[in-house]
Amino acid sequence: MSENQDFDQVIKGHDYDGIEEFDNPLPGWWLVTFLGAIIFAFGYLYYYEMSSGPSQVVLLEESMQVLKSLKKSGPAMDEEKLAALATSDKLALGKTVFTGKCAACHGQNAEGLIGPNLTDKHAIHGTSARMDIFGIVVDGVLDKGMPPWKDALTPDELVNVVNYVHSLKGTFVANGKPVQGNEFQ
Amino acid sequence: MESHTKLIEVKYDDRIVRQFFMAMMVWAGAAFIFGVWAALELADWRVNANLQWFTFGRLRPLHTNSAIFAFAGNAIFAGIYYSTQRLLKTRMASDILSKLHFWGWQLIIVGAAITLPLGFTQSKEYAELEWPLDIAITLVWVIFAVNYFWTLSIRREKHIYVAIWFYISTILTVAMLHIVNSIEIPVAMFKSYPVWGGIQDALVQWWYGHNAVAFFLTTPFLGLMYYFLPKAVGRPVYSYRLSIVHFWALIFLYIWAGPHHLLNTALPEWAQTLGMVFSLMLWAPSWGGMINGLLTLRGAWDTLRTEPIVKFLVTAVTFYGMSTFEGPLLSIKSVSSLGHYTDWIIGHVHGGTLGWNGFLSFGMGYWLVPRLWKTELFSKKLAETHFWFGLFGILLYYIGMWASGITQGLMWRAFDGNGQLLYPDFVETVTRIVPLYWVRATGGTLYLTGYLIMVYNLYKTIKNSKGVANEVVMVPATMEDHSKVKDTGHRWLEGSGPVFSILALIAVAIGSIIEIYPTLNIHKYVPNNVTVAPYTPLEHLGRDIYIREGCYVCHSQMIRHLDFDVARFGSPSLLEESMYDRPFQWGSKRTGPDLARVGKKYPDLWHFKHMINPRDIVAQSIMPNYPWLAEQSVDFNVLRKRLSVMKMLGVPYSDDEVTRAAELAETQAKQIAEGLTSQGAPAGLEKKEIVALIAYLQCLGQKRGEKSVSISN
Repeated sequence: MSENQDFDQVIKGHDYDGIEEFDNPLPGWWLVTFLGAIIFAFGYLYYYEMSSGPSQVVLLEESMQVLKSLKKSGPAMDEEKLAALATSDKLALGKTVFTGKCAACHGQNAEGLIGPNLTDKHAIHGTSARMDIFGIVVDGVLDKGMPPWKDALTPDELVNVVNYVHSLKGTFVANGKPVQGNEFQ
Repeated sequence: MESHTKLIEVKYDDRIVRQFFMAMMVWAGAAFIFGVWAALELADWRVNANLQWFTFGRLRPLHTNSAIFAFAGNAIFAGIYYSTQRLLKTRMASDILSKLHFWGWQLIIVGAAITLPLGFTQSKEYAELEWPLDIAITLVWVIFAVNYFWTLSIRREKHIYVAIWFYISTILTVAMLHIVNSIEIPVAMFKSYPVWGGIQDALVQWWYGHNAVAFFLTTPFLGLMYYFLPKAVGRPVYSYRLSIVHFWALIFLYIWAGPHHLLNTALPEWAQTLGMVFSLMLWAPSWGGMINGLLTLRGAWDTLRTEPIVKFLVTAVTFYGMSTFEGPLLSIKSVSSLGHYTDWIIGHVHGGTLGWNGFLSFGMGYWLVPRLWKTELFSKKLAETHFWFGLFGILLYYIGMWASGITQGLMWRAFDGNGQLLYPDFVETVTRIVPLYWVRATGGTLYLTGYLIMVYNLYKTIKNSKGVANEVVMVPATMEDHSKVKDTGHRWLEGSGPVFSILALIAVAIGSIIEIYPTLNIHKYVPNNVTVAPYTPLEHLGRDIYIREGCYVCHSQMIRHLDFDVARFGSPSLLEESMYDRPFQWGSKRTGPDLARVGKKYPDLWHFKHMINPRDIVAQSIMPNYPWLAEQSVDFNVLRKRLSVMKMLGVPYSDDEVTRAAELAETQAKQIAEGLTSQGAPAGLEKKEIVALIAYLQCLGQKRGEKSVSISN
């Protein structure tokens, strides 16, 4: 570069409080970057806003379809199948889920807090049947602020926590919240 | 002709430079301390000591405002007043205006420091200050502008240097941004509502927010760089042609880039796309500034080893280059889907502020102080130590926030093989990054330590000063023209301040108008069969409390069109859902989860307990306690005025609702309070702030409805 006589020529008349300026050209790689970005920008703008580029709504629908197709619901449950899965090690796993997700509203010992006591013999919705509990956990009770857990828990976790809650019924832990709902057998 | 030029004596006003510089040093300390404090609050929620004035939601605006407007602002003014007088060979036109500018600006800062902790905020980022301060800012800025353009008109140097170009664009554009973004209607001494609603407010705010970075933290500092860097190394500027191209490209393109803060949101897609592609086009013009700075050093690189000033300036320019590469990168929609709402953005911003603005100001300071106080720098070695403390501080900060942001971003979007979120509990993704909050606080502390070393060094320097005096120079009595040839093209433009300024204003107005104008009629984006119910009076009151507490600082209300956002928070937010929101509350950061659809998700009692102590509900939560919400009472009587302003702005309230606002709010509050009490909450809550806030939280995501279109009529 230094052999180039045109390079590093101070421009005459450019003297600002002692600061001078060279008349160097724009660096080539810089210019390429700039023009490249401009070309890309207009191509992108044309494709997405004036041509066939998909909108964010379409892209979202597509990816939600993909998620849906991945969804493997657990095997269909009934009272007996649930009962068969209520082994002690699985109940222990269910307890972990309970402590992590349910205890905030139902209390550490399921004694009831924001949500009802789960250790008495009353239920606001349904009975103590495992399938009733299963339905409430999976779909929630939106009116009462019980969220649905079907998307937050795996099929195994759902089964385990339902069986764990079932195992608590009628244990009447200390400091329980007063009963709510109807008594069941 | 030149040999006959009559010389006269001119005394530059260096006193005003010293004042602005001292103010910069003082406010820098405040900004850095608030920053470290805020960082510690995220590392450990107890650090606010349960004091409402210093919760993160109120402290963070205090930190950002003091860093941007107090620290960087005073740094800019010091540098501009020093360099402009010398580049134009004239004293500032009016000492009185200079003084008014200085004291006015400091009073505004004091006003901000008092009102922000008290919760007086518009909740618009970097524009939080309420309307009396907005008016004061406008007045002081006009004073500055008048003084500046007046000075420009009496200059003795015909052609204006590139630094001045940047100053001119700064003054004009900041005025435009501030005024348009602050069009608001007062309802009380320190409470107002913006005229912009929903997407308008979002677009105007981020047009402002992004260009506050552009025209308050970039263009003026580029101007300072163009003066102080060649001065410090004694070399000519690398390329005059590059200056021209990158200046005009920068100011024209920058103004369009604001919507990149709103990618994948409910903002109409054409605006998002413009924001993205203009950000990409901005990369090269930004780097033009870096190249011109760094290549100016050719032949003087050895000074980098020996001169701490050069170290600061070169590192500043390097951080500028990094930030302006990272900015366009983050503006790509897919990269934004990972980085937005995370600490990556916080890291990005601090690379710019700590690295570029901070180090340039420090370098400028070490250069200026010996000249302004006519003495030698006390210790080069201490300046060197400051440099290394600062640099390691920034690196810890930056790397910590990269790690935190990318970790959390990846956790948010992770699905398992079953198409379910791998980390469905938001708090899991928070717990994982808390260690990095300690790393960040450590980085900030190092940076603060470096600053304290500078304070000591400059104190000793100034103590050695044997008195100050304004620099006196001999300058030509009339305007000087070095070139002695007929000017053409850009050179001609540099000789005409008014034409140059008008062109600069046009350059920044084009993008502004094209992006903002189409959204002025928000209704054309809303489908005909959609209804959106306005907030009930109590919900409105609760919303004002939400704004006061700065909830938006940590919680977004904008579910993006992204599968993992939808899986976690519900269907994507639609623009009509926030169409009556003044100010909009889309947020820009998710330290906690999105709240756009939190309404009716949990019972009232959940919210009550959660506000009093979040850890009663979510054991690992890092949200502060808000016990005062259950102690402080609301005044329902303010609602009539507030709702009438809303109605005037187009929110569909009936006259009856406005007239009976207080009564309606009281009735709803009583209902909620009774419900809470029956569930075990204490009695007597019906007038407490927490009830209004719960009413607001419970209505989020509940307002949109569809009316059946009748065919028979």
